[in-house]
Order: sequence, then structure tokens, then C-alpha cells
Amino acid sequence: MNTAMITEVFTGGVAFAIPLLLAATGESISERAGVLNLSMEGMMLTGAFAGVLASVSTGSAVLGAVAGVVAGLIFGLAQALLSVRLRADQIVVGVAANALALGLTTFGARVLLDAGKGQNVPAFADVRVPVLSDLPIIGPAVFGQTLLGYFCLAVIAALAVIFSRRTMPGIRIDAVGEDATSAGWTGLAVNRIRVAGVLIASAAGGLAGAHLALSEVRSFSENMTAGMGYLAVVAVIAGRWKVSGILWAALFFGVARAMQFALPAIGVNIPYAVLVMLPYLIAIVAVSGFVGGRKAPSCLTVPYIGRV
Amino acid sequence: MTTSITSDRGPRLRLLPPIQHLHLRHPLVIALGALVVSAVAGLALAATAGADPGTVVDALVDGTLGSPFAIGTSLNNAALLMLVAAGFTVAYRAGLVNVGGEGQICLGGIAATAVGVSIPDSVPVPLGLAAALLAAVLAGAAWAGIAAWLRIRRGTSEIITTLLLNFVGLALVVLMVQEPSLLRQPMTSSETLPQSEPLAVSARLPLLGLDRNPATIAIVIAVISVIAVGIMLRHTITGLRLRSVGLSDTASARFGVPVDRTAFLGLAAAGGFSGLAGGLLVASAPFVLADGFSSGFGFSGLVVGLLARGSMTAVIAVSTLFGFLVSGGINLQLAAGVPASTITVVQSLLIILIAGAAWWTSTSKPQRKSRPEVHTEAPAREVLV
Repeated sequence: MNTAMITEVFTGGVAFAIPLLLAATGESISERAGVLNLSMEGMMLTGAFAGVLASVSTGSAVLGAVAGVVAGLIFGLAQALLSVRLRADQIVVGVAANALALGLTTFGARVLLDAGKGQNVPAFADVRVPVLSDLPIIGPAVFGQTLLGYFCLAVIAALAVIFSRRTMPGIRIDAVGEDATSAGWTGLAVNRIRVAGVLIASAAGGLAGAHLALSEVRSFSENMTAGMGYLAVVAVIAGRWKVSGILWAALFFGVARAMQFALPAIGVNIPYAVLVMLPYLIAIVAVSGFVGGRKAPSCLTVPYIGRV
Repeated sequence: MTTSITSDRGPRLRLLPPIQHLHLRHPLVIALGALVVSAVAGLALAATAGADPGTVVDALVDGTLGSPFAIGTSLNNAALLMLVAAGFTVAYRAGLVNVGGEGQICLGGIAATAVGVSIPDSVPVPLGLAAALLAAVLAGAAWAGIAAWLRIRRGTSEIITTLLLNFVGLALVVLMVQEPSLLRQPMTSSETLPQSEPLAVSARLPLLGLDRNPATIAIVIAVISVIAVGIMLRHTITGLRLRSVGLSDTASARFGVPVDRTAFLGLAAAGGFSGLAGGLLVASAPFVLADGFSSGFGFSGLVVGLLARGSMTAVIAVSTLFGFLVSGGINLQLAAGVPASTITVVQSLLIILIAGAAWWTSTSKPQRKSRPEVHTEAPAREVLV
């Protein structure tokens, strides 16, 4: 394995990890507030579809990215209404919402993006950071993103800082997710904070989907997220709801995916299906508490009824 | 024959609750309402694709009842949904939600294929088929057993683990059909498809024998299974234990119910039924295991299970409806030019509406309060303090 190959694997890994990390960072905030969005897959797919649709019809990739976020937020509002206000089963609603998003975007693509309209999409161009992009391995992987890619990285960093465990928003979100009843008694608007958490997750998911469609794949195809949203939820679990853990999980999943294409080239005989299932196996081990570290938020998926 | 099984918790056997028991918040009324709303949404969606409701309904009916082929395909689909939904119901009785139908179908398919390609053609059909399907049941049950074990020993949510195991199961199918050392058919040229060898003749499901109709005996197996589950849940000690564990595991433990074993068996049984569905899937034409062969039956079966709310009559009815909808959706695309994904939209909308109305749903008739609630306990507590 030479340097060129390592660079290629790492570049591919980071390219996959950025939307994954963005979605997972948003999702972790929502989960820390106590709401599980299994619908992250649907949020990303919706963001990707809306991004491509708006980009094609306006001719502006920036408007496409904005549309992706807006579509994600609309999706998130519906999810928040169901899982927070109506106290519906978050897992059932999440799985169904993914199917709904898959059905609607497939339908939309057939009707609105037919005849190859989803192919020649005004997309973001790569912007190489001078000097830094010449660094070995890390240079092309990290400093060769599109403008939207750098924006995604900035959003990830901003979310991680604003909602860290040492800021007021972060502490409030943890309080609501760990003990909603006590948090309610201290005067926190539990459900409002939870709705905000879902909206942050859905905006991040929409942006991640738009990034995937507008600066990486540069087109829309049916079910193009192909399980990435589920993988984001898995990254949150495997990362034990910690920023650093999620970062490593996302990077690992990204590199594992890039390896699927690189391994045959270097003659290592690991079937790629094994690499596909690896993240999920890791997540099962992590979620079962075989790995030390922080536990899941106590009130995850438990709806808050009111002060009792 | 289906009238004898219902799992309504009344002392009498009945197909539907008496009309005077129905009210606005009754689950049946809500399910019907949700069905109407999502059907209207589906028709509206089809209208935006340029098909008027008449054409849509025509295409649906034509694709489901229009030909013996359509009816047979629909029945085969319905059989798979019945099995997954029946298994879901068994686990749900014990308070466990099985989201892992898809992965269990995959494992069942893999096991049935492994047996089916290795037995000789000379084995009599009942024996070969039984061996393949038994392997499928065991593999599905073992797959769900992982989640059940983690739930009992580590307290891990079975919803998360069964969901994650789906992805592992789907990847396992890819692994099996990609690797020549596993189940991939011998590669004779570069165009050899990544799929298994066809199953031996002795492991193939016999057709029902209707004219130009691809319906297999899967529907018979499924209906018998559903009836057996209905009887088991309603009239046996196992059924009682499952329900008891589902209602309260602490109380069940005090009464001497083997809580862990019951819960484990409940989830493993769910896996076994989904595994059986996977086995039936590969034992029907084209008799091979290929990537994506489970094609969403796990999810649809979960939807059926949730909609049926524990009633085996409803499992049969809803599975039949959905089985016909799936093949109708394909014709919808061919005949009316409406994307088949409309059916996915209608299904998922249905489940979201029912889940969203769960807080409002109630089996008991709402009591009108004739006078304001009297708080009798508060003063008493004050006296004590």
C-alpha cells in the first residue's frame, strides 16, 4: 500500500464521513434531549432531493443547499409534532417516516426530475486551500472540499461548541434528556427544548443530504442515501453521545467504506460485505454496554407528559 | 374458518366488536379513518402525476384481480406478510417490538438456500422442502435470539438491536451470493450473476395447481400458521404467559412465570416466522438467493402487525389487502404511469397516522363525567402528615 493509495482511501473516507458526521452531530443533540430520530435517513434523503430540485430549477447551487435545509426543517417539524407533542412511538414513527421520505422522493424524482434533469445539476466546485491542500494525505482529504463542504465542517464545529456540556444550551439539553420531570420542575420548557433538538437534527440532516447531492454525487438518484442516515444514528450510539466519540466513529465508518473499493486493488481478500456490516456490528456491541463510557440519555424515547 | 380466531380480550369468540361498542376513539374506527386519509392522499399524489382517480383504481384492480397471474402473485405476497405479522404479534404480546423482520427473512433465505442447493433432486419433495423450511425457521429464530439474549442479559433495547441486525443480515446475503466459496453459483463466465444456484427440485414449493396461477402452497402454510398462533395466544398457557410478561414482568415473576424464558421465546418465535417467510421466498420462483430478495417484506410485515393490533383475523385481512396493494402498485406504474412508490407513501402514511393517534386511541368508551372530580385523598394525606 503506497502513499497514493492511502491518500485515496483517506480522501474517500473523509468525503463519506463529512455528511455522516454532520447528521450524527445534529442527531446527538436531539438524542441528548431525549428524542430519537430514526428518521435521519429520511431527513437526509429529503434534503438531497430538495437540494437537487431547487438547484436544477433556480440554477443556483447555493439556493439548492438552502432548500435542503428548509426541507429538512419541514420534515423535522412533522417529526417533532409526532414524537414530542403527540407522544407517538418514536421508533415506529421514525421507521415509517423513512419509508414515507423514500416513497415521496422516488415519486418526486420520477415526476419532477425525469428525462435526466437530475443529472446535470448546478453543483459546488472544489475549492483547494492553498498550501494546506499540499500536505501529504490530510491535504487532499480535508482541504480539497467544496464551499458547501467547508460550511458543513463549520456547522459541525459550531454545533459541537454551542451544545457542548459546558454551555447553557448544552446543559439544558442534557437536563431535559436525563431527567425530564426534574428539568420540568426547575422551570425548563422540556417539550420546547426537545422540539428545538429535533429541528437542529433535521436541519443538520437536510444540510448533510444537500451536501451529499450537490458537492459529492452531484445528482439525485432513488434512495441515494442508502442507509447513511441509519449509519449516522449508529455513529451516535457507537460514539457514546460524545463529540469526540462520534467524530472517530464517523471517520472509521468512512474509511471502512472507502476500503471497500481499495482492498481488492491491493490484493487483500476481505469481501466488501464484511466491511459493510462492520459498523452495525460495532454499534450492537457498543449499544449493549460491552464498551465503557457514557450511557444513553435516561429519557431517550420517553415522552414527557408534564409536571407530575 | 377464520371466524373462530380472534384475540379480542372478551370471553366470547367474535370477528368484530359489537357495533354499540364502537366509538370515535376505538382502534378499529381510527384504523379505518387512517386508511381513508392515506388512500385519499395516495389518489391526490397520483393525480399530480397526471392520473385521475378512476384510472388509478382501474389499474389497481386490474393489477390485483385482473388476471390469475396477478391474483397468484398477490396471494404469495400476502402469505409472507401474514407470517412476519404473526411473528411480530407473538413478540408484541410479550412487550417486545421486533423491527428485525428484514434481517430474519435474510437469514431464513440463506439457511433455506444452503439446505436447498445441497440436497439431491432425488429426495422426495415433502422431505426436502421440510428440511429447507426448518433450517429457515431455525436461522430466523437464532438471528432474533441474539437480540433477545442481549435484551435479557444486558437490557439492550430489542428495537435497536433488531434494527441493526437487519443491516448485518442484508450484508450477509450479499456476502453469501458474492463469494464462490459460500453460496454463489459456479462462475462460468464474467457474466455469471451474483446469486446462488437454483434450489434442488425437491426443495421447491409446489404450486396450488390453479390454472395459469403462480400461487404456491405458501398461502396455505401462512394461514395455518396464523390460525395456530391465534389459538396459541388465546387458549394456551404459553399465550397467557406471553401476555402476562407483556403486561408486567415484575408481577409475572411473582406469580412464578419464567419471565426471561418467555420473553426470549417470544422474540425468537417472531424471528422464526420471519425466517420461514424468507425460506418460502427462496423456495418460490426463481428459486435463487440474490441481493435484495427480501424487498421490504420485513417492513411491510411490521406495518401489518402494528395495524392488526394483536388480532389474527386482522392479520389475515390486512396482509391480504397489502399483498394485493404491492402487486397493484406495479401495475399502477405500468398501466397508469403513476410511480409504484405511491404505495410506499400510502403504507407509511397509514402507520404514521395510527402511531400519531395512539395517545387518543382507547378501547374503552369514553365516560362522560357527570360531576367534577373530587379529590378525596389530598386532605387525608394532610391529616397523616
